[in-house]
Amino acid sequence: MRDPPQTGGAGMKSPLESLPVFHLGPVPITQAVLTTWAIMIVMVIGAFLLTRRLDLVATRRQAALELLVTTLDNQIHETSGAKPVLYRSFIGTLFLFILIANWSSLIPGIEPPTARLETDAALAVLVFLSVIWFGIRGTGVGGYLRSFATPNPVMIPLNMLQSITRAFSMFVRLFGNVMSGVFVIGIVASLAGLLVPIPLMALDLLTGLVQAYIFAVLAIVFITSTVEDGARHPEDPKSPLPSDKKDI
Amino acid sequence: MTIDWWTLGLQAANVLILMWLLSRVFWRPVAGAIAKRKETVQAMLDVAKTTQENADTALVEVTKIREDIAAERDAILSAAREDADKAGKAALDEAHKKIEKNNAAAQLSLAHDTDVVRKKTAAQAAELSTEIAAKLLGSLNKSTVQTAFLDALVNAIKNMSAKDRATLAESTEGINLVSAADLEDADKELITKAVTRELGNNSGIHFATDPDLIAGLEIRTAHFTLHNSWQSDLARILREMKDAI
Repeated sequence: MRDPPQTGGAGMKSPLESLPVFHLGPVPITQAVLTTWAIMIVMVIGAFLLTRRLDLVATRRQAALELLVTTLDNQIHETSGAKPVLYRSFIGTLFLFILIANWSSLIPGIEPPTARLETDAALAVLVFLSVIWFGIRGTGVGGYLRSFATPNPVMIPLNMLQSITRAFSMFVRLFGNVMSGVFVIGIVASLAGLLVPIPLMALDLLTGLVQAYIFAVLAIVFITSTVEDGARHPEDPKSPLPSDKKDI
Repeated sequence: MTIDWWTLGLQAANVLILMWLLSRVFWRPVAGAIAKRKETVQAMLDVAKTTQENADTALVEVTKIREDIAAERDAILSAAREDADKAGKAALDEAHKKIEKNNAAAQLSLAHDTDVVRKKTAAQAAELSTEIAAKLLGSLNKSTVQTAFLDALVNAIKNMSAKDRATLAESTEGINLVSAADLEDADKELITKAVTRELGNNSGIHFATDPDLIAGLEIRTAHFTLHNSWQSDLARILREMKDAI
């Protein structure tokens, strides 16, 4: 454990450092973890309450929920061409969690978990692993490995490097945007008072939404790319995805 | 910059748990509700489609039935029209025949009435003519007329059959000799001589007067009358005229 570095301003902490609030055995529990748990509780209880009485004739609440799910399904289908049911939980939860985590910065005293390296890195690792999981699930181990040989085996090293760097880019992009927003708002608030950061907070809302959308879309794009590359015939890398592989 | 790997792993586990929980309490129920509604709507659409097809089939059948009914109605109307035309024509023909029959009967009746009236008028004319003739004859010279009728009486007696003349002559009750007016004695004597000469009997002649005779001399017995007067002549002429009418 190290003391929190002071980067300037009154009590501002380095966004690159995660300080544990307490320890649970050997595991340090940081503020980001606590906030994540709170977000999880709110999301699960909220989802449970919202989906208690779903009926054939939809209420406004149910219609809003169905609109959310339908929009997500359409987005997944338009991006991947596959059935949304396979990716709905993963992509949808990613999007909702990142969105709520980003917007949690509006609550005074709460720092969004996505403004911390570990949370964004964990999300990027999950996307990286999900690409492997869905790739093997869709096309088998051979198909997944074959996806690195697209368009030709010469590209294998670059594709392997790409699979890491694109996950890393997602992690850095999300962290940089959210952290910078929180950091800028903190600086402006420390310099100009309470009302001045409001426009920046509104912009932060938009940024949080856009970043959640980008993260989710990139995740499904990466998964789809791997699945399609693994399903293509090895002798014709430019051939379209076989029809029987469209739904994988 | 350092990364706390414990926190990274913990956050990854948190997100995985969140995915699993939301999958259970959010994504599946909502997607299930959507799928259930789609299935229900699809089932309703299938039922509606089946109902629509049944309705279309029923509509086609109803249309065919209506066309058949219309055709049958037209046929019935046509047959009824033909029957009505035939009945009307028959009634018209019958009416024409009846009218012609009535016309014929009326014409016959009219002709009969006309004939009756004509006969009646002719009879009246004949009677009138005889009356006129009687009046005209009544104004003629009586002695000349008397002489002519005496000659006619004598010729009539002569023309009688012998048997009749003998029966007349042998009449015990006498002979009534009727004239239109009272005769002078000289005329009676002359007449008595002429009759006696023809019949051979001069004891039973009785003179009588009958103004209806107009002029003339007639012999009358209980069983015999010899007409010889203008009255009898006019009566005969009138009878002949009536017979001729």
